[in-house]
Amino acid sequence: MIRLPLALLALFALVLAAPASEVTVPATSTVDTYVQRFNPDFLALDGKRAVTGVEHTPIFDFTPGNAATDVAKDVAHNTWFSVLVFLPFLILPQVLLLVVIFRFRDRGDGRKPATFTHHLKLEIIWTAIPVLALVVVAVPAWTLLTKMDHPPLSNEARQDPKQCTVVSVYGRQFFWEYRYNHEGSEIGLDAAQSQEPLVLAKDRVTELHLTSKDVNHAWWIPAFAVKKDCIAGRSTFTWFRPVKTGAFKGQCVELCGRDHGLMVIYCVVVDAQDYDLYHVLQSYRSAATKVVNALHPADGSTPAEAEVTAAVTAYLAKHDDAMGRFAARYWTASTLASLERKRQGNLTQEQFRSTIAAACRQRLDSLLAAAPAAQAASAAAVL
Amino acid sequence: MSAALPHPEIKRYSGVLDWLTTIDHKKIGLMYFWFVLVMGIIGGAMAGLIRWQLVMPDAVIENIQAAHLEGRSLRTFFSDYHLYNQIVTMHASVMIFFTIIPGFVAFANYIVPLMIGARDMAFPKMNAFGFWLLIPSAILMFASFFVQGGAAASGWTAYPPLSLAGAGSNPGQDMWIMGVHLAGVSSILAAINFIVTIANMRAPGMTWMRLPLFAWATFFVSIIMLVATPVLAAAVTMVLMDRNFGTSFTVASQGGDPVLYQHIFWVYSHPAVYIMILPGFGAISHVFAAFSQKRIFGYVGMVWALGLITGMGFMVWAHHMFTVGMPVWAQAYFMYASLLIGVPTGIKVFSWLATMWGGTIRFTAAMKFACGFISTFVIGGFGGLILALVAQDYSLQDTYFVVGHFHMVLVGGSVMLLFAMTYYWWPKMSGRMLNERLGTWVFWLMFIGVMLTFMTMHVSGVMGMARRVPVYYADFKLLNHITTGGYALTMLSSLLFAYDLVVSYFRPKVTENDPWKVNDVQQSFEWATSCPPPVYNFEQVPPIPVVDRAL
Repeated sequence: MIRLPLALLALFALVLAAPASEVTVPATSTVDTYVQRFNPDFLALDGKRAVTGVEHTPIFDFTPGNAATDVAKDVAHNTWFSVLVFLPFLILPQVLLLVVIFRFRDRGDGRKPATFTHHLKLEIIWTAIPVLALVVVAVPAWTLLTKMDHPPLSNEARQDPKQCTVVSVYGRQFFWEYRYNHEGSEIGLDAAQSQEPLVLAKDRVTELHLTSKDVNHAWWIPAFAVKKDCIAGRSTFTWFRPVKTGAFKGQCVELCGRDHGLMVIYCVVVDAQDYDLYHVLQSYRSAATKVVNALHPADGSTPAEAEVTAAVTAYLAKHDDAMGRFAARYWTASTLASLERKRQGNLTQEQFRSTIAAACRQRLDSLLAAAPAAQAASAAAVL
Repeated sequence: MSAALPHPEIKRYSGVLDWLTTIDHKKIGLMYFWFVLVMGIIGGAMAGLIRWQLVMPDAVIENIQAAHLEGRSLRTFFSDYHLYNQIVTMHASVMIFFTIIPGFVAFANYIVPLMIGARDMAFPKMNAFGFWLLIPSAILMFASFFVQGGAAASGWTAYPPLSLAGAGSNPGQDMWIMGVHLAGVSSILAAINFIVTIANMRAPGMTWMRLPLFAWATFFVSIIMLVATPVLAAAVTMVLMDRNFGTSFTVASQGGDPVLYQHIFWVYSHPAVYIMILPGFGAISHVFAAFSQKRIFGYVGMVWALGLITGMGFMVWAHHMFTVGMPVWAQAYFMYASLLIGVPTGIKVFSWLATMWGGTIRFTAAMKFACGFISTFVIGGFGGLILALVAQDYSLQDTYFVVGHFHMVLVGGSVMLLFAMTYYWWPKMSGRMLNERLGTWVFWLMFIGVMLTFMTMHVSGVMGMARRVPVYYADFKLLNHITTGGYALTMLSSLLFAYDLVVSYFRPKVTENDPWKVNDVQQSFEWATSCPPPVYNFEQVPPIPVVDRAL
């Protein structure tokens, strides 16, 4: 019974000893970089109208050194081992078949066919050797299976967001909702009704707890070598540890209805520092959304200056610090970028970057610059 | 002597009415055969629609996104992916319930009574009833395309909650369930008939261990059909009840469980995999023996292997659902049990090779298909071994690797077996030979087509292409184009084969009982009567050649 209090004490000490989350505010000019990094432009086209902006194909790479997660590395190793053990059973029958075809064909020379009908030793051999091969494969297969299906961290470590990213995944027709359990933030569809990518930290154990809000789905990113079904009324579990930064593609792999084929999965793996920044930005999201909505009314009408000013004022009243201003810029740029991309897409990646995102940032910047005065004016009016 | 034998059937009609009312196992077998051929071509055409969609320029996700950006309309074959899902579902249903399962029933109906020296099946009227049930079953399934909401679009697996969607407004799913029920009853009736026939109507002297392997395989498969098919009926009935009568077997929000359906469904559908291959395993042994002019190698081992596959086939169902989130021990058990099925299958492959070893092999079209079958089936089986490993299955489940694997064993396996059986037994069934030269074309087109189509599917699956999708990432474009090219060869081969069957009726009749001159290596009676046999099959059952089976 002494263990539990001790463990709690140790955990408390750890929390105290751990340095506070230090997220430095990036320079305002890097907003575009972060829009690209957290929401890589999967739709951007180059001059030849080919798709750019995706760093990794959805291919599962069997070269263990290229694995995107540690699980994928183990799976790649184990696959090569099992395939090598099984390969003789693929090659041998084909070779024997060719031998038989060329050696025993009827050449019309009156050769009499053999008359044997059984050979006990041979039959025992071709029963026993496959069994042995299965035993050889079975042992590492068990080790890998238990590794893949059990949480890798202790219960204490799983509570620590610095060691473990815990994400609840909800399958919907036909998109994904993610909830970061530690941070409490949620992502799903962006303002243009496109799937937002799941952002994860490199080298940090990532646990997925999956379920469905309607029909069965299955979450799969080939490069990660994990796949799990999402089933209504059930919670399934899988984990992996990303070891490469980059953008990864996947798609729903359980038939879920009309647009099953378009139910894409995007995942972005970033450094731990960027990951922390991402979640700080998320914490400003709902407040920033009001500013964005004022700037871009849903019905497409021209934004009313008074409303925009009011929204910016209200936002700055709560978040008038360097990070708050950066977050407002980030969310405006990223939201407007996705809306513009949907609306008038005939742009190259460079055009997209330089015109649309820059223009919306410029507009917000002038508003933000004008804001303190407006705030002062409204304060004066109250007085 | 022959005067003392009563005629089993009194002929009452002629022409079409005769076919409609016949209870002769041979005529019923032929009706099964032609039904299967038509259904196979329809199912193949549906596959063609799927392949057509998958080579359209806007089947590529990146192109769709670019099209949205440019504001142009999509260049796809299916403008409505719901229709695509219907075609995917019906392709599978037609191929499984109306082509491959009844395909083997066709041969079992015609050949097994002849092999064991019986005059007909044990229950001739039930036999006819079983066949005629398939007609309303097929009508229900095809008619469902024309009802509100279209045909079933939840895959042939019909997993709830997707198969519950739109209950009350899309009767297509209900019609599909009723179609499956009727096809299932047909299977069960056929199974009972085969078991009783083989158990009771063997000629004197044909002991169990002298039973031809095709009859053994039919016997084992009948046991599977009898035991497993009612389980499928239970599974789809749960969906039917949930859809129409307010029950909640599979509705999670009301205490049901969608995974329960998956377990019950696969308790049938995994053994059903063996329904679709074991009869061919049995039959192909006769082809190897016939054209190697040598007796079947390791008969006892072959019978045991068939029996083991039958028994173990019931105990591995959950390897279809490793990603569903089962306990580790359950996954490990299903992994090991699935791997073990490779052992009796290996016994069969090696025994076929040993049957040919030392023989004097005549490469007729039937023998070409038999050899090609070994090559494709071993590849398909190898894919099965990889899929049985849980860690690898996590990556491969529900991808094109699975599609490639089961098509490799169903087209490269079952369909090539059916072709081989047709080339071998068609002289007996129709009294006409098939064109051997055309048969060579049919074989090579089929073999190359199967390799191109399904090997590329394996590759795109490993790379990361999901199954049952009308669109895919640009990385898989080239592979999909090759797959569709391979499909064209396979379909061309099937059409040539169907053409040859039709024109064979205009060829001269076979005059010998045993045109292949194979009876001295077979231990069965089908080559001891005329081609085609008379209504009563045998005037007198000839003595069975006794073969030393001692180990």
